[in-house]
Amino acid sequence: MFKLDPQTIKQWKRFRSIKRGYWSALILVTLIVLSCFAELYVNNRALIVSYEGKWYFPTYAGKILPGSMFGLGDDYISETNYRDLKQKFKEEDKGNWVIMPLVPFGPEETDGDHIFESPSLETKHFLGTYDAGRDVLAALVYGFRTAMAFALILLVCTYIAGICIGCLMGYWGGAFDLLFQRLIEIWNTVPFLYVIMIVASVLSRSFWTLLGVMVFFGWTTMTWNMRTSTYKEKAREYVSAASALGASNTRIIGSHILPNTISVIVTFIPFSIAGGIAALTALDYLGFGLPPDQASWGNLLKIGTANLQSGWIVTSVTVSLIVVLLMVTYVGEAIREAFDPKKFSYYE
Amino acid sequence: MTSYFIRRFLLIVPTFLGVTILVFMLTRLVPGGPVERLLQEAALAGADGAASFTSDVVSSGGSTLSNDQLDQLKAYYGFDKPPLVSYFHWLGNVFTGDLGKSTRYGDPVWDIIRSRLPISIFYGITTLILTYGVCIPLGIVKAIKHRTVFDNVSSALVFLGYAIPSYVVAIALLTSFAFWIDWFPLSGFVSDNFDDLSLIGKGLDILYHAVLPLIAYVAGSFAFTTMLMKNSLMDNLAADYVRTAIAKGLNFRSAVFDHALRNSLIPIATSFGNNITLIITGSFLIEKIFNIDGFGLLGFESLVERDYPVVMGILVISSLLFMIGNILSDVCVAVVDPRVKFGAGGSNQ
Amino acid sequence: MNFNTFYRACGLFALSVLALALTSCSPEGESDVLSEFPTITLPPIEVAEGDGLPVEFPEDLEWITNNDDPEFASPDAIRGGTFRTWILSFPLTLRTVGPDSNGSFAGFLRPIQFSPVTFHPMTRKPIPLMATHWAFGADGRSIYFRIHPDAKWSDGEPVTADDFVFTVQFMRSEQIVAPWYNNYYTERIRDVKKYDDHTYGVQGSHSKPGDELILDLGIGPTPDHFFRMSDNWPVEYNWKPAPTTGPYHVGEVEKGKYIELHRTEDWWADDLRYIRNRFNPDVIHIKVIRDETSAWQHFLSAEIDTYGLTRPNFWHDKTNAEAFRKGYINRYWFYTKLPVPSAGLYLNTADGRLADKNVRIGLAHAMNIELLMSTVLKGDYDRLPTFQLGFAHYDNTSIYPRNFDLAKANAHFEEAGFTEVGTDGIRVRTNEDGSKDRLSFEVTYGRDDHTPRLVVLKQEAKKAGVELRLDLQDSAASFKKMLEKKHQIAWLTWSTSGLSPRYWEHFHSVNAYEYDPEIDEMIVKTQTNNVTSTAIPEMDELIMKYRNSSNLEERISLAHTLEQMVHDHAAVIPTYQVPYTRDAAWPWIELPEWLGVETTGSLFNSQANAAGMFSSGGLFWINEEKKEEILAARDRGETFDPVIIKDETYR
Repeated sequence: MFKLDPQTIKQWKRFRSIKRGYWSALILVTLIVLSCFAELYVNNRALIVSYEGKWYFPTYAGKILPGSMFGLGDDYISETNYRDLKQKFKEEDKGNWVIMPLVPFGPEETDGDHIFESPSLETKHFLGTYDAGRDVLAALVYGFRTAMAFALILLVCTYIAGICIGCLMGYWGGAFDLLFQRLIEIWNTVPFLYVIMIVASVLSRSFWTLLGVMVFFGWTTMTWNMRTSTYKEKAREYVSAASALGASNTRIIGSHILPNTISVIVTFIPFSIAGGIAALTALDYLGFGLPPDQASWGNLLKIGTANLQSGWIVTSVTVSLIVVLLMVTYVGEAIREAFDPKKFSYYE
Repeated sequence: MTSYFIRRFLLIVPTFLGVTILVFMLTRLVPGGPVERLLQEAALAGADGAASFTSDVVSSGGSTLSNDQLDQLKAYYGFDKPPLVSYFHWLGNVFTGDLGKSTRYGDPVWDIIRSRLPISIFYGITTLILTYGVCIPLGIVKAIKHRTVFDNVSSALVFLGYAIPSYVVAIALLTSFAFWIDWFPLSGFVSDNFDDLSLIGKGLDILYHAVLPLIAYVAGSFAFTTMLMKNSLMDNLAADYVRTAIAKGLNFRSAVFDHALRNSLIPIATSFGNNITLIITGSFLIEKIFNIDGFGLLGFESLVERDYPVVMGILVISSLLFMIGNILSDVCVAVVDPRVKFGAGGSNQ
Repeated sequence: MNFNTFYRACGLFALSVLALALTSCSPEGESDVLSEFPTITLPPIEVAEGDGLPVEFPEDLEWITNNDDPEFASPDAIRGGTFRTWILSFPLTLRTVGPDSNGSFAGFLRPIQFSPVTFHPMTRKPIPLMATHWAFGADGRSIYFRIHPDAKWSDGEPVTADDFVFTVQFMRSEQIVAPWYNNYYTERIRDVKKYDDHTYGVQGSHSKPGDELILDLGIGPTPDHFFRMSDNWPVEYNWKPAPTTGPYHVGEVEKGKYIELHRTEDWWADDLRYIRNRFNPDVIHIKVIRDETSAWQHFLSAEIDTYGLTRPNFWHDKTNAEAFRKGYINRYWFYTKLPVPSAGLYLNTADGRLADKNVRIGLAHAMNIELLMSTVLKGDYDRLPTFQLGFAHYDNTSIYPRNFDLAKANAHFEEAGFTEVGTDGIRVRTNEDGSKDRLSFEVTYGRDDHTPRLVVLKQEAKKAGVELRLDLQDSAASFKKMLEKKHQIAWLTWSTSGLSPRYWEHFHSVNAYEYDPEIDEMIVKTQTNNVTSTAIPEMDELIMKYRNSSNLEERISLAHTLEQMVHDHAAVIPTYQVPYTRDAAWPWIELPEWLGVETTGSLFNSQANAAGMFSSGGLFWINEEKKEEILAARDRGETFDPVIIKDETYR
């Protein structure tokens, strides 16, 4: 059975005692969980449609429900426009009804009647619209989810690569270490944008290709950190002792070095997340990121700065960015403090 | 230890070759190089429906280039030889101090780079002075007043600066203080009438233009140095030798300034070497947002516009500086902290 | 261990690297260039046996001129002042030919080189410019010109017939690294001959209607006395501005910051009938502002004088600024009649699914261009019915565009076999071999600001069961993809100009496929403008007939047939056209009462020509007194009624 060791409990207690970080962590986790279910409150698909006594759940139907299903004509083969359907049911008054989410707009959906419109309760564009009438709030919510997912997956991939290579570099040292050091140095100077452009010319731009490129370039930082801490651990007596007792390399790395470097890894996590979000946003801002029609914070930032007369765009996206990144940083600061307990003596 | 540093310097060579050869090959793979840009300019309309600037002769010619003519264009831009041959040709020139000519401006790459250097160095050095000038005192005060309101508030602020990417700071500042409230100039390094100004006027003009970009530059670097200073001073204050000194009757003030401070500057000094690259390269995003003609913007523009000789020239300079900077920072460590020994198989970073 | 010594050595090394770099690249001396790249004398014009202009000057010529068409500049115009405008990037060169000379700065440079004859912007008839008279040769493909006796270059040298002969030698030379010009001046121009200092003749390759001939053969002069030809020509003259024959020449250049065009003193053409009262500012100050947002702010704070508002979001959204609300800035919306750039979706018929005409027609009916125009484009643009438009009689006005029509789209898709609809709402076809085709296409484009337009089309296309995937690349990369025919659908706008539409480069089969002897098969031909990979034998025949015909009637009727074929082939979905020019200007930039003329490209175009051939620019002037008044009023916070003028005279 899984049992928390006292050290971890102590660290957790210390973390909880740092209010700024603790609360930030709570809020962030809540936001991430909420964003997983964004379809339920920000969506152009209805939550529930009741048509001729039957209930439909378009959001989780697993396929699109064409308009022909709700009596909108046989050649209506594409997805139903549920806002129009709601209006129609209301006018017909035949007992059919539609429940729309709180924000009845999808992130990529255009609304031609409301282009660059300021926030309004009436149109339900609570934070206004941008370019082709896309909803700013929807873009913020889905953009947050994309950015978080991107940062987290990036983190897992780069950490796995970084930990493996870094450990080996530190543990084996010698030629292997030297070779990878040069490789990392070379890697760090390659113009990232060119690789993105080359990839974009061969594959179409998508979340996954961008992620692939980022992992391809992002593994070096963690590798370097792991290498240094492995070096330190390796030099300590208990490793020599284990080695003298005949423990295998795998065992030394797996049960001695890795557990002891875990604190290093954990303290880096929040900063890597912040870095991932910032990098994705910067790439989108420069126009080298996600597909152009996908809602993202960087894209909002770009459109917002190009249309300063529509101040609600740039304001909402910069405020969101600042708040989220600040919270992530506070969490990071708190974790670092919790894992690195320096009890200082005070004067006066 | 000397042999260790000599080895480090020798290792620059393979890295330098690796870096340049890799990037050189990449430039051959990127779509949309100079020849392709030429083809496009000859055919496509500019902005929407706006009468295009394309010469009527060119477009009404309606001709298609023969393969020979395409080859001639490729030769003009130096794309006619196999990549490896051109690479070694380029490398040979670099060793004679010739970085080649920009495919876009036709000017020697070095002249272009040199013309951008003063601006970047100005921002680099000012950032450096500001960072150390603010962070060291702030770190000291925070260490002394650990866990007070001042410490908490300043931490929150410093981390705010750290958390927000510098380009977001730049955008926020520019929109607030240059677009919405008309306090600072929109862009540029100096005003158009710079040459007509008096010496004092020139200085003020540069400062006036520099306020917003400088804030964007330094905001992010405060956290690291401040916290480093604070933590290392606290380490030292907690160390036995300071406790002893205080126990022996030394007052707190001189304990801090005469004993602890000097030792706690060591980690600060070790990070100083890396600043050499900071001075030169700057941040292309900040320079782009504020329209400052510095090194960073040059790098970005040359990348986007496929000005390969400039890309390579910048790469040569920045990678050399980067590697020398790394070594210098090790040297700094060794100079300030005689306990450090390099080369015995330990970590060399 | 002697550490200090080592530390010093390191420092010295770093310093010496920098110093070496700083010193090693001193600018090359002028003499080096001369010795390294010897002067090349360009070969004389060679003509095939039995071809070419007569050696003796033909005496029986009928000299033509035109001094009867109306003047279109305002006599109220005030000379002087500085007109401040902007440009997105500093030009890569000050040459007008050769590598990188086709950037946006060419729009400032090219028009200040005058041609011998130009076209009246209202009557569209030829009018004299550098030449006082011209005459058509008996062979139907040559013209003789008489140069204005006072014509001078901006450096004071007289313009002679030699300068025109030199143009052809120059444009044919390999040294200028400009293959398009090489081709054009070799294929289209057979001979050029000087008869005396002010008389010369030019002969073309085909006989053509008169106006087309003038356009083809009315080549401008090139300063023979200025250029030294060598293999280093593009580099040597990259930053050396050539003297000009027009009102302005390059005056001051501050690299990376601004360029000033100065009005040539005692300009020879000042009093010419169609020139007087035009080109009024003394200086045109072109500031480099790398970012549109920043340029806009510069304009709002009166640091630049005018700003183009052609794009709908500029006119409707961005003008919601204080300077407009308080009435300091005037707005002009001026309808014009000019050749229309060919904006559209170009379907690559080399793609398996798009080879099916039903799919192409279905796609045309699935593109909701009307909605795009009424929403994102705010109803300002007009639908473009045909591939090419704006060439007067050449236009085939009997063609109607395919409108958004789901019933028709569905019918055509079903006929093409796309009868099933997947769970994602996208149509699917099952082929005979069991493989499946989805109605999903990649739209390649190179302009970031067009994303909202494509987003609308994408969303609407779903209604017909079509998926569009947006493939945004930077502009050069996207065009490369199109020229290599690797795209499925290309969203692009071809530039147009001249007096008649062009079909050969876009639709002739030689530009679509070529024979590859290695695999003994026809393969897609790359690097040509036939991005639809159209190859129809009947069409090829008509295109060649159209190209070689000199009969205006026949050409017009062929153009109508060709345009109809383009429509029937349905590989091009024409989108929209912009029938106007729209600008904002601070009120001290004044215009004639009539603002502009039928062929005005931009109201505040400081240059002679718009859209290449009609001489319509430079009508505005600067009222310095008014400038002081307005700026003072602004500082006091006074407000005015906003001036918004919509002129539909030429709609």
